[in-house]
Amino acid sequence: MIQLRHISKHYPVGFGKNEILKDVDLTIFEGEFVSIMGPSGSGKSTLLHILGLLEEPSSGDYLFEGELVNKMNEKKRTQLHRGSIGFVFQAYHLIDELTVYENIETPLLYKNIPGAERKSRVADVLDRFNMVAKKDLFPNQLSGGQQQLVGIARAIVAEPRVILADEPTGNLHSDQARVIMQLFKHLNETDKITIIQVTHSEQNAAFGHRVIEIRDGKIQ
Amino acid sequence: MFRNYLKIAWRNLWKTKLLTAVNILGLSVAFAAAILLVMTAYREFSYDRFHANKQLYMLYINTYHAQGLEQRANMPMPLTPAMKQEFPEVKAATRMLYTSGMLRYHDKIFETDLEGVDVDFLHMFSFPVIKGNTQAPLASMSNIVLSAKKAQSIFGNEQPVGKQLEARIGDSWKTFIVSAVMKDAPDNSSVEFDALCRFENAGGYESQKDAWNSSTHYVYVQLADHASTAAFERRAKTFVNKYFAERLRDLKRDGATPGENGELIGLHLRKLTDLHLNGIGSESQGKFYPYLLLLVGAFILFIACINFMNLTIAGAFTRSREIGMRKILGAFRLQLITQMWGEAVLVCGLALLIGLAAAYLLLPGYNSLFNSKLTFGLLQQPLLLGIAALLFFLVTLMAGGYPAWVVARINTIKVLKGSMQAGRSGKVRNVLMVTQFVISSLLICCTLIAWQQLNYLRKQPLGFNREQVISLPLPHDVNPEQALKRMRNTLAGEANVLSVSGTDINLGRGRDGSSATSKVSYDYKGHVISSNWLRVDYDYVKTLDLTLVAGRDFSPQYGADSMGLVINEKMAQQLGGVKAALGALLPVSDSAHPMQVIGIVKDFNFRSLQEKIEPLSMFISPGSPVQYIFVKVPRGNLPASMALVTKRWNEAYPGNQTDPSFLDENTDRQYRKEKRFSSIFISAAVLAIVISCMGLFAISVLVMTQRTREIGVRKVLGASVTSIVTLLSKDFVKLVLLSVIIASPVAWYLMEQWLQNYAYRIHINIGIFIGAAVIAVLVAVVTVSVQSIRAALMNPVKSIRTE
Repeated sequence: MIQLRHISKHYPVGFGKNEILKDVDLTIFEGEFVSIMGPSGSGKSTLLHILGLLEEPSSGDYLFEGELVNKMNEKKRTQLHRGSIGFVFQAYHLIDELTVYENIETPLLYKNIPGAERKSRVADVLDRFNMVAKKDLFPNQLSGGQQQLVGIARAIVAEPRVILADEPTGNLHSDQARVIMQLFKHLNETDKITIIQVTHSEQNAAFGHRVIEIRDGKIQ
Repeated sequence: MFRNYLKIAWRNLWKTKLLTAVNILGLSVAFAAAILLVMTAYREFSYDRFHANKQLYMLYINTYHAQGLEQRANMPMPLTPAMKQEFPEVKAATRMLYTSGMLRYHDKIFETDLEGVDVDFLHMFSFPVIKGNTQAPLASMSNIVLSAKKAQSIFGNEQPVGKQLEARIGDSWKTFIVSAVMKDAPDNSSVEFDALCRFENAGGYESQKDAWNSSTHYVYVQLADHASTAAFERRAKTFVNKYFAERLRDLKRDGATPGENGELIGLHLRKLTDLHLNGIGSESQGKFYPYLLLLVGAFILFIACINFMNLTIAGAFTRSREIGMRKILGAFRLQLITQMWGEAVLVCGLALLIGLAAAYLLLPGYNSLFNSKLTFGLLQQPLLLGIAALLFFLVTLMAGGYPAWVVARINTIKVLKGSMQAGRSGKVRNVLMVTQFVISSLLICCTLIAWQQLNYLRKQPLGFNREQVISLPLPHDVNPEQALKRMRNTLAGEANVLSVSGTDINLGRGRDGSSATSKVSYDYKGHVISSNWLRVDYDYVKTLDLTLVAGRDFSPQYGADSMGLVINEKMAQQLGGVKAALGALLPVSDSAHPMQVIGIVKDFNFRSLQEKIEPLSMFISPGSPVQYIFVKVPRGNLPASMALVTKRWNEAYPGNQTDPSFLDENTDRQYRKEKRFSSIFISAAVLAIVISCMGLFAISVLVMTQRTREIGVRKVLGASVTSIVTLLSKDFVKLVLLSVIIASPVAWYLMEQWLQNYAYRIHINIGIFIGAAVIAVLVAVVTVSVQSIRAALMNPVKSIRTE
């Protein structure tokens, strides 16, 4: 499903350059649950951002479902964001001015889904996450774990093929973390959503099928 | 989607209530000001555009004297018939002459501006007849046409057409029959009248109808549809050579220098629609007045827009997380721009509504302050509506579009990583703020200079006593010489009257608003003498406290004073100095009856201070009647003296109202234009600085919030409150100072140009710019301090914990 070929990424620093990723080859199949691990600064977040089309590689090819992403224009990429890729962040990144319901609804609005269907899909997700009672609250009225649940709900409501999670439990304590990871596992198994997460924790990594170790910009 | 945007916009605005309020308030004020100014400018431009005929002109004559160009619109009576015959370009033409000031109906007298016109008047201009004879209402010499308003005030509910009434022409009453009633002229018409009759009825018509050397009335011309003014003016050359031969000869003899196109006398046309702003020889608004208004309006709006931009940009950075998230969720850049711009439209729309309401409420006050006649109905004009819509679009584009564009380009990753510090790199912001304060300080400098100049004009000693002299205009229907004599006698015994005199030209501008110049020129000892020509009466010098340099004042004790002249020093210079001038015999009208200089007075400013003092000759021959009585009263109870003079006048001439005023009032009134000019500048400067400070305030709120942690750390490390306030205010003060430095030379240049209009003017000194800097910095410091002191006093424990 996802194929990286000779991907490198570097930033200019002064007269030289700072190499983050060096010649990375990676293939991820549909329905996998992959964890990317590595020490700080090893390039795992950058890798995730490249996978999520938020950053462009300096060189190399990236194929998403067999299509070359480097050649896509901005519009096409936005279409991928709308339909195929969902994001979950360490800091949740919910929109503070919108309620839980409205936060979850936003991706559907951008997908131009008609009102009735939107309502039923949001209601569905809320129901599934046991958050119906909280739907009219604002993010700052929720605990961290609850906020991350909303973040995940928002990521899956548009029915993406893949979810990219950047340290999704980094701000949570271990009980909450377990709940979130079980949810990911469940989504992976029942909904067949491909999941790629970046994590520091061995426990979290254990929930997935495969661990990719990255060190100094290279996959070990 | 739209509802989602609206919701988030509303919640965002609500979250930053204070900033939103500042934003909306500033914009509303700017909108209100801009609406009023644009309306005023529009009205100024709209003058005389209601006429269906577009080829309407006023005729004027340029005469190049040895002393320079004289431009006037007064024409000799035979000119119009001759012109109509000889110019195929002229389709129609009418003379227009003030014929009478009062009508009488059933022994009741009505003040009326009765104008004598030619028959063409009725079909040249778009003043439609609404009642009576629509075909030829001025067919007969005894026809009179009334304006609807005048007909209503004279006849009330009676049918006016066919009624007889009388008009006072010269010394007698003449009977007219009302033939028609016309629609009132709109108040943006330069051609004004209450009633019309045939031109031939005007006083002096019989004696002057063939006189080419006496100019009395205005002439309006309608050119044929395809004729051009150039063609008219070409033909006018031969016309002038034919009919003004004698004048041309005199001018050549006096050594007049021809104008740029080689003419000594030129007959020209000015478009009727240009007349209001660019009048001929009379006081008009000045061509640039409406443009100045528009410019000031644009400035104010621009300043408010900058506030909006700064706040939106700053706000957008704090919202960048939302924007970034939306990008990830699949928003196109255009969608984000639309969203941000939509919010700008929302805020601007709200501000526009408030601004409209404010303008509506302020309109009466504005009208009385600036002496204008605006109505809100003006806003229904499609052109004005179009301009308003366009302006609104531009404002939202500038205020909301740019920030939206900036934000939509933000790098998503940076935002989400949090490496995007909220608006720290305030380069754009600083440039915008400097722009604001440049405009504000420019306006402050201009205000200070205009105000100083106006003050200077008012305080400048004029060389005559203006505090104690009452000027009483004589109504047209009394015998002026008799009235002067009568007032002299009745006031003679009063202890509260020091002396009485008369003149034909007022000093300054009285309540009647009129002003005039009269000049003579003649040959004396081989060169041309030119002088202002002023009718005075006995005791003129004494009444006005003029200083005699040599000789004496006019006095009834000397029999031959009617051939005497009292001149000023400038005139004496022309005659070869005071000694040579005193006793000189001057061939003013002809050499057989020379007039003798009997006295010389020190120069005094008998004209406005825009002009230098010119040579002046004063005479007392009753040939040109007095029109004003001057009464000098003692210092002390001036209002009582005024009441006394008015009372004595009313006893002598009951029913003949007059409106006396002190001369200092009159000289003040000369500077109405300057006053309006400076009041516009003052209001604009105040608005500009207030709106700029609103922006400054809002920005300081934002900056302080960003720097709370820094302030907390500094306090923990032992910084004093003063040092923190200084630290926080310093940056802003620097920007404001920079603005004043940029604005000063511009203001200096512009105002130097303006001051060139005055013969008597102040020198712009550096103090003004220092003053402007002090004002601007002071206001800015006060604005910023509110925030910086609050930030500095905050408990550091709190501020450090917030992060």
